[in-house]
Amino acid sequence: MADKAFLFDTSRCSGCHACQIACKVWNELPSTLELNGNKWSGSHQNPPDVNGTTRLIMLYNEMENPAYTTTGEVSAQLATKRVKWAFGRRACQHCTDAPCSNICPAGAIFVDAETGLVTTDDSKCIGCQYCSAACPFEVPQYDEGTAVGTIQKCTGCVDRVHNGMKPACVSTCQPEALDFGDRDEMIKKAYERLEMLKARGYSDAMVYGEKEMGGLHVIQVLKYGAAAHGAVENPKVSPAVALAGVTKPLTGVVFPLCIVGFGVMTALAAGYKRDTLVYNTDTKDTIILETGEVAKTGTRPADTRGWTDAVFENLPFMAANRKKKGGE
Amino acid sequence: MSHAITVSPEAQASDQKFLEESKNAGLTRYIKRHSKQARITHDVTIICCIWLMISGLFVFAPPLTQLCPQELIFAFRMSHRIIGVVFCAVPLISFFMAPSGARHIWKANTCKWTSDDVMWMVMFFPYLFGAKWIHMPDQDEQKSGQRFADGMLWVCGFLMAISGVILLLGSMVFTLSPGAHAVWLFLHDLGFFLLCIFATAHIFLGAGIFQPYRGGKDINGNKVKGCWNLMFGDGMVSEADALYHWGHWAREELESGENVVYKDKDGNIVEFPKGK
Amino acid sequence: MTSHWCDFQNTDYILHCGSNSSENHPISSKWLNKAHERGAKWIVVDPRYTRTAELADIYCPIRSGTDIAFYGGMYHYIFENLIEPNLADYLKTGKRCDVYNFEYLLNYTNATYILDPEFEFDPETGLFSGFDPENEVYSNHSWHYETEEEIPWTEEQYPWAYKDNVPKFKKPTFEKPKRSMDLSHPRCVYQQMKKHYSRYDLDTVCSICGMDKDNLELVYKTYCESAAPDKTGMILYALGQTQHTYGAQNTRAMSVMQLLLGNIGIPGGGVNALRGEPNVQGATDMGMMVNEHPAYLKWANTTDRKSLAAWLESQTYSAGYYSNKPKFIVSSLKEWFGKNATLENDFGYDWWPKVPSTVGAQDWTHISTFELMDQGVIKGYFNWGMNPCHSAPNAAHVRRSMANLDWLVVADQVETESAGFWHAPDMNPKEIATEVYFLPCALIYEKPGTILNSGRWLQWRYEAVAPYDEAKTDLWMVDQIFTAVRDLYEAEGGANPEPITKAKWDYYVNGEISFYPVTWALNGYRVKTSTFEGNGGKGFKANGLDESGNIHCQLTPGQWGDGRTVVGAEKKGSLSEGKVDLLPGYADLAADGSTACAMWIYSGYYNNSEYPLNPAEQPVGRRILNDEEHGGLGLNPEWAFSWPSNRRILYNRNASDVNGQPWNEAKKLNRWDAKAKKWEIVDVNDFVATKTEADGTVTQVAPDPKNPNSFFMLWEQRARLESYGMADGPFPEFFEPFESPMDRNILNGSLHNPVAFGMSGASKYDSAKLDAVTGEEHDLKDFPIVATTYSVTEHWQTGGQSRSCPALLEAMPTQFVEMSYELAEELGIQNNDDVKVSSRRASVVVKALVTRRFAPFMVDGKVQHQVGLTHHFGFTHEFGQGDVVNDLTPNVGDPNSFTPEYKAFMVKIEKAHEGGVH
Repeated sequence: MADKAFLFDTSRCSGCHACQIACKVWNELPSTLELNGNKWSGSHQNPPDVNGTTRLIMLYNEMENPAYTTTGEVSAQLATKRVKWAFGRRACQHCTDAPCSNICPAGAIFVDAETGLVTTDDSKCIGCQYCSAACPFEVPQYDEGTAVGTIQKCTGCVDRVHNGMKPACVSTCQPEALDFGDRDEMIKKAYERLEMLKARGYSDAMVYGEKEMGGLHVIQVLKYGAAAHGAVENPKVSPAVALAGVTKPLTGVVFPLCIVGFGVMTALAAGYKRDTLVYNTDTKDTIILETGEVAKTGTRPADTRGWTDAVFENLPFMAANRKKKGGE
Repeated sequence: MSHAITVSPEAQASDQKFLEESKNAGLTRYIKRHSKQARITHDVTIICCIWLMISGLFVFAPPLTQLCPQELIFAFRMSHRIIGVVFCAVPLISFFMAPSGARHIWKANTCKWTSDDVMWMVMFFPYLFGAKWIHMPDQDEQKSGQRFADGMLWVCGFLMAISGVILLLGSMVFTLSPGAHAVWLFLHDLGFFLLCIFATAHIFLGAGIFQPYRGGKDINGNKVKGCWNLMFGDGMVSEADALYHWGHWAREELESGENVVYKDKDGNIVEFPKGK
Repeated sequence: MTSHWCDFQNTDYILHCGSNSSENHPISSKWLNKAHERGAKWIVVDPRYTRTAELADIYCPIRSGTDIAFYGGMYHYIFENLIEPNLADYLKTGKRCDVYNFEYLLNYTNATYILDPEFEFDPETGLFSGFDPENEVYSNHSWHYETEEEIPWTEEQYPWAYKDNVPKFKKPTFEKPKRSMDLSHPRCVYQQMKKHYSRYDLDTVCSICGMDKDNLELVYKTYCESAAPDKTGMILYALGQTQHTYGAQNTRAMSVMQLLLGNIGIPGGGVNALRGEPNVQGATDMGMMVNEHPAYLKWANTTDRKSLAAWLESQTYSAGYYSNKPKFIVSSLKEWFGKNATLENDFGYDWWPKVPSTVGAQDWTHISTFELMDQGVIKGYFNWGMNPCHSAPNAAHVRRSMANLDWLVVADQVETESAGFWHAPDMNPKEIATEVYFLPCALIYEKPGTILNSGRWLQWRYEAVAPYDEAKTDLWMVDQIFTAVRDLYEAEGGANPEPITKAKWDYYVNGEISFYPVTWALNGYRVKTSTFEGNGGKGFKANGLDESGNIHCQLTPGQWGDGRTVVGAEKKGSLSEGKVDLLPGYADLAADGSTACAMWIYSGYYNNSEYPLNPAEQPVGRRILNDEEHGGLGLNPEWAFSWPSNRRILYNRNASDVNGQPWNEAKKLNRWDAKAKKWEIVDVNDFVATKTEADGTVTQVAPDPKNPNSFFMLWEQRARLESYGMADGPFPEFFEPFESPMDRNILNGSLHNPVAFGMSGASKYDSAKLDAVTGEEHDLKDFPIVATTYSVTEHWQTGGQSRSCPALLEAMPTQFVEMSYELAEELGIQNNDDVKVSSRRASVVVKALVTRRFAPFMVDGKVQHQVGLTHHFGFTHEFGQGDVVNDLTPNVGDPNSFTPEYKAFMVKIEKAHEGGVH
């Protein structure tokens, strides 16, 4: 199977919320059952962001249309609109270089080999949230309070895709703002749409997702440009995440080295024996029990050896050398 | 031992008498080094620590994760949280039960470094590979290296506890921003990395895997329990071992006699026969 | 609608006015996007910048309730800019004009018809001729045409009507109207219209509607490009047009606009009412109304329809297809009363209740029902599948009226506000003696049957799951109630028992009430060769039915539209006992009682007599997508069934010129092949294309350029730019809503529609002006803000179903009042504040949504604010509650349709200090 991709065309989207709800329903994600338990966000955007029980939300960004005019000559078409109401779609972008999948220690987020979609296996998720930290889109969400304690993010509905169906959000989209198919084809369609929008006067229109993060598997046609539709311009993985990429391999290398070192030490110390010391408080002498010789005297005998001497004085071959030297 | 020194004949006589009496009595002197509370605190904490390291390893190392059934991993994951809480709580409780002990530990670990300390530290790595031949300078209650290593363990412990608690609360109580989350995760990882070195080194030495840290002999020439006895046994160190490891401290203790007890050849604590 | 959903893709100009279809009919966007992609221009005229406006190219704000001014202005624009500059040239040369379709205007509409000399409109009073000031009603006498010649029916023309066993009635006479083919006669419809709308110039329209002149001109210019013969434009409308005291005139206004632009009957054209949300199309078809019998026939009444003969004389058209009405009514009576319906007893006509219809008679329409409850006239109420305590205007008044009932039966899926009216926050249950019965009913997915969309497509739905818990289908409940009542009448007698005891009620299979015999009754069947009323009235028998009496998964073999391939499915669904001889279509109906048919317009939708129990074997159950084989215009003739006769685009003769040649080859619905002397039919013809001779041979009827008869459902067979059929005037004339910020009508001397329902004549109700709780009358001046109501896509009507879906509530957790930044600043309101919105009748607390999508209007030189409220919440349901917004709306409405005026009223808004949003 070739790489698949979603195509989201904001210029066809009516902001009807159906994708968001289809996602919740197909994936059996709960919503509160408390009476009036949902707090209204103050706009159509509810819930205000993706969360532990919501993998996809619609964005509703309202802004002034700088081209709006009521005076002068007969208005040009788009100038009749005093508002830009930019609908957006916030969910996993299915990066080719998916940092969440790279960083996931449990293999719970992984790239589906057949489609290139970044999908999840809930049963493997350990709730570490490395993925949340790694994602430049801040998509993976964890909400112990309401969910089962695993990360939630769009799975690309690979269960459906593998069975010849389109993802739940796509199949429910009545205005056909969402499409799903071979990535190359989606990109081609996106550029065709872009051309159409440019011709209609949407000068900021752009295609998003072709190159970002090694190429996203969500291609978007953004009528008013990236920022207006809530798309992340130049997405980059946070440097803090790169640090986490260092410690693990470092640990993996250093720890075995330590163990090897300890083994070597133990081997070298094989047959270790030492004198038994006792201390006579009367004389302040530290005595070797076996020989009766006094090793040291005083409560704090000063060690006057130089450290090289102290190290090398008794080493077998070094001692021999020193003797030899001394002999000469 | 090669560097025997010469002492005055009076002293020599006194020493010989002392040796004779001691051998005849067959009693070995021990110094009480760690209290019961200290031992329990240490033991519980390090068992937790080991469990946390193992469960953490299984949860975070994909090859290990893949080996185990999901239920087991889930159990590891949940136990990591519960044991993590114990790991944090036990030292805290202990601290509040005996703040003076904590103060003692603090002092013993932060005392000024003597020339012996510096020399010990310098010689430590060669020593690890040549313990049979290298004689280390005498040390106070905490060896300089021990102070460094224990200090690292304390630092790691605090780091793991704080980062662990924040991560736990961050997934249960409040929401961390992804950036902050990444930083705390990094610190937790860093702590793990350091623990991998210092905790295993501590075990290597403390548990007596390294031969010099096994017990020496008592007055009767019998083997005594090694360093592990200090934390997992009765917390006492034999006179000989004390003199080997912490010479300065051992002599101080033997001089004061406050923490000194006698054990017979069976290990029973007995009174030293008076008047002999 | 005259076209259908898939036809949207064929249009060149989209005009949304009074509809936010992308939000409220999401499927519309699919087809509109296709048109848009093809290059169609998209205009939205709406008080607020809607989700639809975002998709469109041009947005033009309009103050709620001023649509007729907007349309009138467009007529004026058409006359001034398209017709007058080109008419003389067209008349001289006869050459098709590039920018305007004169052939359509002259031949397909009544523009050339000369009106009665008494026809008049007085701008000073705002009245048309024929106004009776005493009763405040119009007589339409002077709105008719001047007659040139009277042509009586002949037996040769209509042989069926003269047969012995057809009820006797005085046969119609065709009054041939006088015409002015060059539109020059001062009394012809065109000239009268031009004169009428001369007042509707751009400046006046802008001043009324609160529009910007440039913007309005751009809208007119753009949309009027659809007047080019090869172009089409479509108007999409919904409740924003109909819910006014002149709502039917709004609809007329749109029809007139489309006729002037030559946009009806052609792919991508039409007057398209977007319905369907609460199956309104089905409800109107089925005659769930006091004024219409099923299939748009009129009920018996107390004046011109008091006997069958009177009905036939007043209703049968003198020409066109409605000359067949006697067949429809007799076949209908035959189904109502079965073997009890005979020629001798007028087929039981007198058993029908008669709607009071004298001037000032008691009125039983929607709004009046609650007045009659209030007066104690109505004592019992079946409330079936609706929720008036939430959805009816002045709902607080409705709740108080319902408290006067002795009993109330509510059949619904959940406890609606109507079922629980007695525990509304403003009601005291201790003071209410009404006995309330709640009948849990099966949801649409829990029962088989047809669903009808706005495009008149009937589609069969199978039962997806069994009804929940104790819920029953409506049919089961009706059967229980009907038979119990009939048994009571039979046992105890009573006043006037015949309508019940004589009724035919035998919709049983294997002794159980069943949907299938109902479908046969709707389709129609031959009485003699069918065995209805057999088995002692216990109906038909069949083998192999499941517990619910259904045959499951019997799909027609072949490739289905959804991609499934069905092979060799065993055909099932025959009757083992009994027989039904279904009619192929309504052409086979008779007026002599030999056929029975409850819904002539549906006839043909379920006509396979071999497998009467298997919907998959019926036209209604078809699911074959082969549009490309049928012109690629989205007609999809083998997908389901479109009434009438599977015709997808109504009035489709208009897609071709007088000679039967399509205006645009790409939009061909039919063509007269002059060489072969044969009609090429793409969509089922809505005109006489063939004629069946007495001997049964079928001959082709060549187009008659003089009489194309392209609107053959009207007796004049030309569309009415002027119509005598409306209660409130032959031309749409602008009036202010019942509640308006204006104290004068800029266009004429009457502020309001002089015959508006609830405001004039017999239906003058005070309740619309009074505080529903205290009964006092507040001064309208204290309510300075125009308000309208609308739906959000996340919720469905009164929320019975959508507030039961947690995911939908999460997506839209509350209702709100949308207002401009300017108004919010004036009132000191922040976004998300709790605000109290009050009308003269009541107040509600909702959230404030402060948005750029609303802006103040400049009306008559002054700043006028408008707000809009959503209305899906109420005081029942487990997961989401809120105040009932329809407590605010006035219970007045349109005099033709009785639809209430939800869409324009006056409010005041203040910050809510206590309580807050529930």
